[in-house]
Amino acid sequence: MKALRNHGLALFFLAIFLAALVGQAFTGQDAFNHAQLAHGGDPISVGRYVTSSEYWVDVLENWQSEYLQFTLYIFATVWLVQKGSPESKALDQTGTESDADQKIGDHADERSPKWARVGGLRTRVYSNSLLIVMSAIWVASWLGQSVTGRIAYNADQLDHRLAAVSWARYLTTSDFWNRTLQNWQSEFLAVGSMAVLAIYLRQRGSPESKPVGAPHEATGIEG
Amino acid sequence: MLAVALSTAGCARDGDGATVRSVTDTFFAAVAAGDGARACEQLSPDTRAALESQEKAACRDAVTELKIDRGAAVHANVYILNAVVELSNGDAVFLDQGEQGWRIDAVGCTPSAKPVDRPFECELED
Repeated sequence: MKALRNHGLALFFLAIFLAALVGQAFTGQDAFNHAQLAHGGDPISVGRYVTSSEYWVDVLENWQSEYLQFTLYIFATVWLVQKGSPESKALDQTGTESDADQKIGDHADERSPKWARVGGLRTRVYSNSLLIVMSAIWVASWLGQSVTGRIAYNADQLDHRLAAVSWARYLTTSDFWNRTLQNWQSEFLAVGSMAVLAIYLRQRGSPESKPVGAPHEATGIEG
Repeated sequence: MLAVALSTAGCARDGDGATVRSVTDTFFAAVAAGDGARACEQLSPDTRAALESQEKAACRDAVTELKIDRGAAVHANVYILNAVVELSNGDAVFLDQGEQGWRIDAVGCTPSAKPVDRPFECELED
């Protein structure tokens, strides 16, 4: 039980992620079959649907935008600050900070991760590992969106007796960019509004908020 | 998970390309041999109905009268439930996959000047 409690945040989000993914599979299949029947086609099984690009382009276009959002947030919060926001660090701490502040190299202690202690390339890589991995997942998801999106797009093209397009051509289509930008705009709005709303609003007990009694101008304090 | 997604969703299913080429070749061979019943078996139900309505005759009789240049299937592209087979004479055949398998949806199709934006002109389609 203690392990469950100690990892509750990850387990909770894993559970609702899987539930939502399964829900998307069944509702997506139903929507796809509705369109099939409307066009005189035959319905397909949920197994066939979840192994098709129709399903995966819808999944991946959302994944890429979420990972881009966090990638940008991680990067932007190194250099940009927001007065009064718990999402920001102190106004005079912009940049990558000193080795002492970051506890790396000679400033590491015995509990620091090995790659933070050893110095050199490994410490440089480890110092940026969160950004590197989040960026890699974003790029891979976006690439996956482009591959599966092209297949879904071409299926629709053939359905209308139009020619299929190459992957390079697909990257210039409004379909690809509409799928991309409709997700990006919502992520950018949500993260930007979160940074600003948290200046003035509170959630007691949440580390995403300042303490309820903290002043609006206090920056970089988490409750 | 992403790798699994791309490996399952990014490629046509095994054999689909060969199947759509085979359906196309079977159709043209049957038309050339005057075997209207076999040619009609390669058409989708909607396309058979469109042909019968267009020609005011049974499919097996009407299909052998179609003025379609015969070409050999040279290349096939499959996208989920839709496929196109390019023929040696420059024409194309469109197919879709239903409960009966891959069937021809449109045949005798010639590309327009801008085939990505303007549909192919087809001798027979649903």
